[in-house]
Amino acid sequence: MKKLFRYLRPYSGYAVISPLLMIGEVTADLCLPFLMSYIVDYGILETGLSDIAGSGFAEWFMRLIWGGGYTQLHIVGTFGVLMLLITLVGGVFGTLCAYTAAKAAQGFGNDLRRDAYSRVMSLSIEQTDRFTTGSLVTRMTNDIAMIVDFIEMLLRMFVRSPMFFVGGTVMLLLLEVRFGVVLLCSLPVLLLSLALVLRRAIPMYAVVQKRLDRVNTVVQENVTGARVVKAYVCEDYESGRFEAANGALRDVNYRVLRLMAVIPPVLTVVQNLSVIAVILIGGNRVASGIDGMTVGTVMAAVTYVTQVVSSIMMVTMMFQSISRAAASAKRVTEVLETHPVILGGKENAPVAPVAISMRGVGFRYPGTNGDPILRDVSLEVKKGETLAIIGATGCGKTTLVNLIPRFYDATEGSILIDGVNIRDYDLGTLRKKIGYVMQKSRLFSDTVANNLRWGDPNANSEQLRHAAEVAQAHEFISRMPDGYDNYVAEKGASLSGGQKQRLSIARALVRRPEILILDDSTSALDLATESKLRRALREALRETTVILIAQRIASVKEADRIAVMENGTVIACAPHEELMKTCPTYVEICNSQLRAGEEKGGAAV
Amino acid sequence: MNRQSQGGGGSNPPVIGFGPGGQRRGPGGPMGARLNAEKPKHAARTVKRLLSYIGRSRWLLAALLCIMVTVTVAELTGPYFQAEAIDAFYIDEATGALRVELSSLKRSLIAMGCMFALAAVLSFVQTLLAARLSQQTVYTMRNDLFRKISKLPIQYTDTHNHGDLMSRMTNDVENVSNAVSQSVTTLCSCLLTIVGALSMMLYYSWQMTLIALLTIPLSITVTSKLARFMRKYFVAQQKLLGSLNGQVEETVTAYPTVVSYGKEADAVARFGATSEQLRDCAVKAKVWGSVMGPIMNFLGNLQYVLIAATGGWMVYARVGGITVGSIQAMLQYSKNFTRPINQVANQYSSILTALAGAERIFEIMDSPSEIDEGRRTVNVEELRGHVEFKNLQFGYVPEKRVLQGLELTVAPGQKIAIVGATGSGKTTVVNLLTRFYEVDGGEITVDGINVTELPKSTLRRAIAIVLQDTVLFSDTIRNNICYGHPDATHEQVVAAAEAAGARKFIERLPDGYETVLAESGSNLSQGQRQLLAIARAVLADPKILILDEATSNVDTRTEMRIQRAMQRLMENRTSLIIAHRLSTIRDSDRIVVIRDGRVAESGKHEELLALNGEYAKLYNSQFAGEVT
Repeated sequence: MKKLFRYLRPYSGYAVISPLLMIGEVTADLCLPFLMSYIVDYGILETGLSDIAGSGFAEWFMRLIWGGGYTQLHIVGTFGVLMLLITLVGGVFGTLCAYTAAKAAQGFGNDLRRDAYSRVMSLSIEQTDRFTTGSLVTRMTNDIAMIVDFIEMLLRMFVRSPMFFVGGTVMLLLLEVRFGVVLLCSLPVLLLSLALVLRRAIPMYAVVQKRLDRVNTVVQENVTGARVVKAYVCEDYESGRFEAANGALRDVNYRVLRLMAVIPPVLTVVQNLSVIAVILIGGNRVASGIDGMTVGTVMAAVTYVTQVVSSIMMVTMMFQSISRAAASAKRVTEVLETHPVILGGKENAPVAPVAISMRGVGFRYPGTNGDPILRDVSLEVKKGETLAIIGATGCGKTTLVNLIPRFYDATEGSILIDGVNIRDYDLGTLRKKIGYVMQKSRLFSDTVANNLRWGDPNANSEQLRHAAEVAQAHEFISRMPDGYDNYVAEKGASLSGGQKQRLSIARALVRRPEILILDDSTSALDLATESKLRRALREALRETTVILIAQRIASVKEADRIAVMENGTVIACAPHEELMKTCPTYVEICNSQLRAGEEKGGAAV
Repeated sequence: MNRQSQGGGGSNPPVIGFGPGGQRRGPGGPMGARLNAEKPKHAARTVKRLLSYIGRSRWLLAALLCIMVTVTVAELTGPYFQAEAIDAFYIDEATGALRVELSSLKRSLIAMGCMFALAAVLSFVQTLLAARLSQQTVYTMRNDLFRKISKLPIQYTDTHNHGDLMSRMTNDVENVSNAVSQSVTTLCSCLLTIVGALSMMLYYSWQMTLIALLTIPLSITVTSKLARFMRKYFVAQQKLLGSLNGQVEETVTAYPTVVSYGKEADAVARFGATSEQLRDCAVKAKVWGSVMGPIMNFLGNLQYVLIAATGGWMVYARVGGITVGSIQAMLQYSKNFTRPINQVANQYSSILTALAGAERIFEIMDSPSEIDEGRRTVNVEELRGHVEFKNLQFGYVPEKRVLQGLELTVAPGQKIAIVGATGSGKTTVVNLLTRFYEVDGGEITVDGINVTELPKSTLRRAIAIVLQDTVLFSDTIRNNICYGHPDATHEQVVAAAEAAGARKFIERLPDGYETVLAESGSNLSQGQRQLLAIARAVLADPKILILDEATSNVDTRTEMRIQRAMQRLMENRTSLIIAHRLSTIRDSDRIVVIRDGRVAESGKHEELLALNGEYAKLYNSQFAGEVT
């Protein structure tokens, strides 16, 4: 929390003025009961102005305005107008206070949000993975909103309540010291009961949240897994599971509410007993004939007591929001304090005949023990060469290519592109060389053309069309109602898996990269389209270095060389025919896919 | 918005005080809740239905209302006794000094104290009842909604946004219950207070009442005008927040893409621009929101002064027997009268929100359930699994036919592989056989019985499906395996795991069969999840087995293990395999190629290759890498 306060510094002017203005508002509010007591005492009751001690101000004020000749109605009118004026002044203070507080808090929020988001956008991929999307979205929006609300409340209410507390107490004691006894008795009772309730209730909120999550999980599972539930005729079983979760939630909710139900009656009782006590004390003072105690005084005292007690109530409510805001602040600070682990160098444009060379590359995810994901991988890929990578899932294929654009950094060995270690490159320059089509293609809610232009913002429509044609996407794009200007719904929801994959291949092609990485990015295409795509790519990418990850032998066998991976390392790297003779693992993969089709495959070679 | 209305929710502790209104302004501005109100479409009808719903807890609600009436009345006596207490003070005519009638003062104070003690105790009970009512309503409503959702046809979950369904289950139900337990009672107590306060005011003095009422129209017009004005900013603010949400979500899920195209700076710039708009909009919304407080304060004080002036004059002129105490009572009652008006306005908005939520809930409740007209009692054990598809017609949308006269017969125990291009209707055949969807024309029979004549539970017990996307539940491994057969013995579970080739990895887990799977089984690998799904199908021991074959998600070796498990599973059962890869289906008794919603070719692998038609084309493209 403290660390975030520095974001308030640019707005310190507003942040300082705002509480001052609040003091103005509270002062105005605190003046009102006094004026009312004048109205009651001198305006309505027929108490003579000079009869009572403490009437000095009222008398002086009336003389100042009216000279000598005024009646009781004049008194009511004068102090009434004065009351309204003070209300207005207080209102102006209050509005200005709200304005300055909002300026400070919202400015704070804007800066914080921006910083936090640009921090997210600078993190390395493993770091955003670790945060998860959902949590980052909440941190950027809800959590920050929570802190902003808190700051605003801090500037306004945290001044207001203590001011009311202190001011009200002072005014009360000014009226009659004995009234203080009332507060002395009632406040500890109130505070103690509040503390007792809240100490038990607050931990229960965590339980409520947990059980709510459980309810949500069951619903989620049933909605996404509806086919299985129905197929196994388990509707009743699932309803039972849901009712259990739902009942547990109801019970804990009810327990919390039951606990919190204690607070309002306690407040009522304390407040009203205080009021009764004040009237009683006032009555006793009048009965014993003590000067200065009037009906107006008693009425003003009642107001002050009420204000003091409610200010305590307000402070407790604020304590609840402190704990919430603190949790939010912690979550936001966590983002701000995460520093990108992958930083770029300075190298810009080296030239060399070898596109990529990996030397003894090893990798394990940060903070994990056990077997490394990659170990001792050494590979060289020449310019214009197509290298395919094949191997079981989890053997490290995707991880290996992720090291090339430095999504992750190799923990051992080094990777060179054009003869220069990738760590020495400026990150932007490095990534501009590479077109990477991922397993899960992501598109953005924008037009098709703009999605393709991610590859190159300056690409003209001819270039877009060409790339789309190569990626076998032109045909379905032109069948869309608006063609290239057709809007792609959020996350590409309006497109089929195969269409998304083809669009992301086209996007990578628009970039005209030196190195194109295709990570199993044709899996959703039917076989005929895939083979057409492969042919078109071969035509278009004569100059480009291609790294191709695939599961199907058919997809990789025409590559210049095929790297076979097993358990995190490359066990063989050669053209298809050679592997068929020398690499048993490769042959095994082939057989499992081709089996009797082997003679067929053999014939095609 | 809920966050803001929390301060104002719950029962309102009776506050007596002599001051003008406005001291108890909560955080978040007084108008927070009113601004986000949605409009329900058929308010009257929804209210009626909701009432019938609440009818289930009618005794609870009746008790709640009774207590509420008592509390309100007890609270309304407060100012009356206060007036009495104050009238115990009097000016001695002779000396002009202030005197007090102590005994009558004490009497009224005791009466007042008793009334408030009564009110406090009863309001505690009221809160408890309200809590019980709201929790019980949420509970039953959620259960009903869940049961309904589980009865909806698959088509519903296929075509509706899951997030939206979830939000109805949580937010909407919550809103409705809050409205029932809080808004309704608050509304009643407000109305009662208004009527009560008004009659008490008239009891004291009709002249002062008239004067007091002068400010009411003023405050209503001002607040409603202002609220309409503020609404604009609040709506804009909500929209901007939503847009920020969307931007973060989109860029973070696609972060690798953003990074590899170097678009971080663009994203930050776009985010920054929206964030600034939000800042400016929020400041305006807050300022206009905070103007409301002072305005209400001013109007409250204006009313105070007007009443005091009139009262003062009446005391002075000795009109209508007005005493200082009765002026005080008037001041209090006039406040009791105005405060609820504002509260009603706030409740009105949360009631509107709740009604809109209720409409969304009822919309689900009203969606037609799965039709299950099957009445024929058949012993599942006696089914042999002879499946026939006759002249099948089907389309998910009327414009687009997926199946057009599909004909297929599967003999008991036969293994049939269905192949075809994406979108040719392979999966549709499964959807129809299990009656997830209903045929548009033609019929499907099992052992000669039209599937529509069978109860769905019988039909589905006879069938087991292993899907591409493995669905597991956040439950123990045991419960996942004996899903649908909760009374299976341990031996049966182990045998099923063994048959599926899952036993080894399960028994290596620290908790074995009692291991609780994380949400959707995410603590297992893809292959392990699939093996569990197979074990589940083994235990179900179906007559008919449907395998929606996994695609490229699993590596070749794991896949071979899964293949072996599936082969064992298929023994002696009628099996339909939706094949995506051709290598695995050569052993099938028959391969059926679907094209344009019909069976284009059918026969054994070699026969179809020799035919050199559709199948040969598919096969060659897969293995030779070229379309021949």
